[in-house]
Amino acid sequence: MEDRPVTALIADDEAPMRDLLRSRLQQVWPDLQIVAEAANGVEAVELGEQFRPDIAFLDIRMPGMSGIEAARRLYERSHIVFATAYDQYALDAFEQGALDYLLKPVSAERLATTCARLQARLRARATTAAEAAPQDIGQQLAKLTTLLENRGKPEKPAYLRWIQAQVGSSLRMVSTREILFFQSDEKYTRVQTVGAEFLIRKTLKELLDELDPDEFWRIHRSTLVRVDAIAEVKRDLRGRQMLKVRGYPGELEVSRNHSYLFQQM
Amino acid sequence: MSASDINRVLDFVRDAFSEASKLWWRFFDWLAVVEWRQLFLTWLFVMIFFGMVHTPEPGVWYIFISFAVKVLAGGKRKAELMAREATMQANVATLERRLMEAKMAALQAQVEPHFLFNTLALIGQLIETDPKEAARVHAHLIDYLRSTLPQMRQRGGATLGKQVELSRAYLAIMQARMKERLQVRFQVPDFLGSAPFPPMMLQTLIENAIKHGLEPKIEGGTVAVRAHVVDADLHVEVCDDGVGIDPHADDGVGLANIRERLQLLYGADAALDISTPPGGGACATIRLPYKMMEDA
Repeated sequence: MEDRPVTALIADDEAPMRDLLRSRLQQVWPDLQIVAEAANGVEAVELGEQFRPDIAFLDIRMPGMSGIEAARRLYERSHIVFATAYDQYALDAFEQGALDYLLKPVSAERLATTCARLQARLRARATTAAEAAPQDIGQQLAKLTTLLENRGKPEKPAYLRWIQAQVGSSLRMVSTREILFFQSDEKYTRVQTVGAEFLIRKTLKELLDELDPDEFWRIHRSTLVRVDAIAEVKRDLRGRQMLKVRGYPGELEVSRNHSYLFQQM
Repeated sequence: MSASDINRVLDFVRDAFSEASKLWWRFFDWLAVVEWRQLFLTWLFVMIFFGMVHTPEPGVWYIFISFAVKVLAGGKRKAELMAREATMQANVATLERRLMEAKMAALQAQVEPHFLFNTLALIGQLIETDPKEAARVHAHLIDYLRSTLPQMRQRGGATLGKQVELSRAYLAIMQARMKERLQVRFQVPDFLGSAPFPPMMLQTLIENAIKHGLEPKIEGGTVAVRAHVVDADLHVEVCDDGVGIDPHADDGVGLANIRERLQLLYGADAALDISTPPGGGACATIRLPYKMMEDA
């Protein structure tokens, strides 16, 4: 075994959390040398490349770059130990793989177990000089990225959720959930909400491509309506289908091409 | 006659027919609700008028038809009115249920377990390194829990003053964690402290500003809370100079919940507006009717 002391890096965006981990580490592994502390993912990668620590303790949620992203750049040189706040998703993800993780706030006992394992691994590496199959870890990290960072937005493409409308000098952000309908109006598109209307430059065609097709339906060449806002559909005397929308006094015409949307069951 | 002419004539006939039927049903409804005394009076006028023009038949027809309709329609109308009342009661019941549900959702979404765990860990850490700071954070946590835990919530907590107090406690804790990455600015005049303001809305906006605006930003930034009266409305604004809003990001349950509660409490008189100022970041403004204090 080498005489060189074992080195470590700590990355967490909250200073008190770094302090806590440092003091706990000093208790359970007094010989461990903490060579650098990072306050975000970008810094973690920089310091990691500079100091080449044996171990990197990485918080998962950090500004700039997540801990997982940072780990993907550091795992070939350093053992990665993730620290995460309680999160069922993360726990499930870690249980599946062989990556080390600590649950924040870090308890001394848990940290002691982790440190014992790390020491054993480092010793094994020093004697056999065999790397612990880094491509394996790489794969696990890639899996972790898809599991944790792309959750909540499964395969579905990212649809537009906010419409930006210029109001004075600032941009009004109108949530698509507030919108009753869009109506094209020569040069502009009119955005109607319960109490207000806005004009935007995006054309109906562009909106159609960017909005969730399950959220908004096109009912006419010049109208997109939010499905949840539809109150009723009726026929006027000329046989046209007219839509009533909750929170708006007028009616919207459904063109013949789109009347199939409202066929009776 | 060309096809379009025929169409036009048909359209006209259809429209005329619909107008006539509309008028007839209006007359029918009027007959159903009018009092007998008033009906007698109109009969008297009709008799006098048609008597004067020496053609009594239309008057007699009017009296005969209206008498018959009145007798027959009374029951139908009564049933209709009862049905309408029942529907309205059902609507009120639905509305009340939704209000309760929204309230429950608001109550449940209050203390994030993460926040509680992290704050407790922070206090534990500070006890070792900085006991004075530990005591401060501990006191803020108690203030925060007192006004967020539903069981602990005091009466009269729904004022702007109380909500600002709660937010100050929360922000003080967050400052202890984020250090210089979080700056806080309050511009809330004292006289607005007694104004009624629904619970947990300001808190949700501040949590959003930190979580989505400042936490992802490496250098952090400022949360500014401002309140002022514009005409008859109270405006409460939470602005941050963080990373702004991704137009493809879901607006989240928090904002939807605020909108829903405002709608239930104030109808069209209140709103939640989100905007992004030219300098970057994001602003959320709650606008609702201003009252000096809660009605006794």
